[in-house]
Amino acid sequence: MVFKLALLVSAAAALSAAPAKVFPYSYTQEDLPNGLRLVVVPTPFPNIVATYIVVQAGSRNEVEPGHTGFAHLFEHLMFKGTEKYPAAAYNEALQRMGATSNAYTTADYTCFYTVFSKEDLPKVMEMEADRFQRLKVSEPEFKTESLAVLGEYNKNASSPFSKLDEVVADTAYDRSTYKHTTMGFLKDIQDMPNQYPYGLQFFDRYYRPEYTTILVVGDVKTKAVHDLAVQYWGEWKRGTFKPEIPREPAQQAPRSAAVNWPTPTLPVLDIAYKGPAYSDSTKDTAALGALALLAFSTSSDLYQKLVIEEQRAASLHAEAPQNLDPSLFEVVALVKREGDLDAVRDRIYETIQTFRDQPVDAARLDAVRKHLRYSLANRMRSSDAIAAILAPYVALRRTPETLNLLYNQYDALTPQDIRNAAERFLTASGRTTVTLVGPPAAAAAEAK
Amino acid sequence: MKPLAALLLVASAAWAQIRVVQLPSKSPLVTFRIVFTTGSAADPVEKPGLAALTATLIAEGGTKDLTYKQIEDAMFPMAGSLTVQVDKEMTAFSGAVHTDNLAAYYKLLRARLLTPGFREDDFKRVQSDLINGIRSGLRNDDEELAKAVLSGSIYRGTPYGHYTYGTVASIEKLTLDDVKSFYQSQYAQTNLFLGIAGGFSPKFLEDMKKDFRTMLPQGAGFRPREKTPQFPDGVHAIIVEKETRSVAISIGTPILATRDIADYPALLVANSYLGQHRMSYGLLYQQMREARGLNYGDYSYIEPFPNAGSRMEPPPNVARHMQMFQIWIRPVEPPNAVFAIRMAMYELNKLLKDGIPEDGFERARDFVSRNVNFLTRTHDAELGYGIDSIWYSTPPYADYVRGALAKLTREDVNAALRRNVHPNRLMIVAVAGHAEELKRQLASGDPSPIAYNSPKPEAIKREDETIAKWPLNLKAEDIQIVPAESVP
Repeated sequence: MVFKLALLVSAAAALSAAPAKVFPYSYTQEDLPNGLRLVVVPTPFPNIVATYIVVQAGSRNEVEPGHTGFAHLFEHLMFKGTEKYPAAAYNEALQRMGATSNAYTTADYTCFYTVFSKEDLPKVMEMEADRFQRLKVSEPEFKTESLAVLGEYNKNASSPFSKLDEVVADTAYDRSTYKHTTMGFLKDIQDMPNQYPYGLQFFDRYYRPEYTTILVVGDVKTKAVHDLAVQYWGEWKRGTFKPEIPREPAQQAPRSAAVNWPTPTLPVLDIAYKGPAYSDSTKDTAALGALALLAFSTSSDLYQKLVIEEQRAASLHAEAPQNLDPSLFEVVALVKREGDLDAVRDRIYETIQTFRDQPVDAARLDAVRKHLRYSLANRMRSSDAIAAILAPYVALRRTPETLNLLYNQYDALTPQDIRNAAERFLTASGRTTVTLVGPPAAAAAEAK
Repeated sequence: MKPLAALLLVASAAWAQIRVVQLPSKSPLVTFRIVFTTGSAADPVEKPGLAALTATLIAEGGTKDLTYKQIEDAMFPMAGSLTVQVDKEMTAFSGAVHTDNLAAYYKLLRARLLTPGFREDDFKRVQSDLINGIRSGLRNDDEELAKAVLSGSIYRGTPYGHYTYGTVASIEKLTLDDVKSFYQSQYAQTNLFLGIAGGFSPKFLEDMKKDFRTMLPQGAGFRPREKTPQFPDGVHAIIVEKETRSVAISIGTPILATRDIADYPALLVANSYLGQHRMSYGLLYQQMREARGLNYGDYSYIEPFPNAGSRMEPPPNVARHMQMFQIWIRPVEPPNAVFAIRMAMYELNKLLKDGIPEDGFERARDFVSRNVNFLTRTHDAELGYGIDSIWYSTPPYADYVRGALAKLTREDVNAALRRNVHPNRLMIVAVAGHAEELKRQLASGDPSPIAYNSPKPEAIKREDETIAKWPLNLKAEDIQIVPAESVP
């Protein structure tokens, strides 16, 4: 067999052995001639196997107006069956295996996962290959499934955070496809039943080997998995489509928006800065990741002041961007009283300014590095947990190795790197501030 | 990483009262699961939420010697966490740490559980978090809100009858002295399970047992066993009114089958057939979502499944003396609400009348008997299930279920279902916008036909005619409307 790319990576499990790679398991990685990538991670957890099939198509790929939410709709449609395995037969096979199976969609990718016993690997590989290559969805099935997607929108809609996410994205971005959430705009979801031809086109474009990585983690032999991949996935035809994802122009001035939520809620403050695209070859991603923890995690000065001492905020956290295109560094605070919104906002701005003005304490940066390594190690509790950790990175760079490279960047960070990242990315002109508040009567009652 | 795990699961009675579940392995992690058999059922009648407030304060407050900030600072570099889950009968503290940091982590864990600080400022913060959790969290989560109201109505008049996290009014009145006295009476050796797994030494465990034995009082106060709910005959409904774009529905009835009684394995299979959680295999999912596009999913339950929207598998350590059968209909568009409720009733009645079909029985049995192997695949879950098995006096969970299912027949399943689930003794809870209109529709008995956006097979159209007229046997006086601001 032709191995276009073959890697064998091995690392000691002990974290204390200093330059050890953060991903402690050996794995193999290869490309089939059609462009499909296979990553196999044998683990010491007995009997169980997890397959995570990552398609590099998410809401980011929804470039045509009026068609937001289609990556997610297609995640649903992938369970509609084929000639050989109609939905009922596919379900019955998984049911009799006792398998857990589901899928999810993000801005950058769609992931289909199954957790099952090792003896069922051939059947799972066969059925997955079948649906990825020969999916058959009728128009009535398409229309009915679009209603299940509306149902998913509905179940999210009672949360103020769903609305907040929509408004933050819509306000912060102009041309990027991150302007819409993965669920899509409600009007597009409501119009989905009329978009059958576009749906088929979406499948034809993206459900192709060059967009797909199969991640197999668990009690497996690498050679056996390779043989199954070649047998069932080898004939899959490469596609030709390459999306033109619009580039977001540089933001010139601060932006803001306010959301009025119809039912009582604590006020929410979301401050988002235009950040960089994911990178494992520069310090950008790592520096902002470390900054999020230094400035806003539970052990940060601001958290201790706002949440623990003054008790003005019920929660505070920040998330650093890790997306294919430039995306947002977001700080979110749940504020206890509406009257404190401005004060909390200003404290967050001041904290950001401090990180721009002076380098952080080296010992605190070291604590962040330890935290990142140990929290990753603490999460690797089962084969499917390991696969779930790898999936987003496989979506970004098609290899688990990017995780090691990213953590090397964390290891190499200096206090000045953090300051540089704050100066470059956390600027007032690249900032979007959104507040969400409940009805006035409720706010008055809370203040009493 | 956990070879022959079942054989290594040792319930030790080395110390007179402390029950220990240990799973030593070569894992680079050590996992703790420390369970006290106390929870909201032990809340004093006038103090709902006290168990939850006490547990949360332990997990999110300082110790006698360390402030919460000092704990957070110490835990941060090791990425150590301590999470707590509170239910009716159990309070479970869990955490995991790399063996590199075991000694430092355990020192903090021990201080938090055995010498909590109970400081006034921590108390105020956690008390406010719990109140906001209801006002801002639960009441903006229509599905969890419907379930909380359902549970409260099914168990009304019993120690399970209040929301685990209390009520806004009760939490506002609780004091630090209430917390201290609850801790002193409930956090005792007779209520304790120590669970530990991974790369620890026998000496470590011996020292840990000694700590808990030395520092905790021996016996918890006597607590009488709960009386079973006096749930009235007939079908009743509660409509929780709030501004929302869809209708979230939960339906339930009390059942006698707990995990330790003979009907349990049969009900597990029946429930998997009807509504296996978050899987596309269940009948309700297939008929309501897949065939008709009514919503995002439809499931059923015979045991509690907290935070069902965000997890695929049930958490352990929500063991209870009383259970309910529950149907979860995820939010539907308002014009379809009555049809969706009728459809769930129709499927349930059909299952009770006709019984589970042979192939449906075999498939559900195969699923449960193999899926049970996956439920305990992490050390944390294995410890939790191990503790539950001791609490219920059942064999290790996977062995117990597989063994029972090997002998189970279709007739056993049908008989168990009919013994436990009474379709004329139900509570329906809906969280909805136009409550009066929904009440009128439910009480009127008028047909509630459904319109589709695509052609449907004849069989579905015929079935829909029956469903649209399905008698709910609901009278206006059996339907109560409550504003969301008033619950729980």
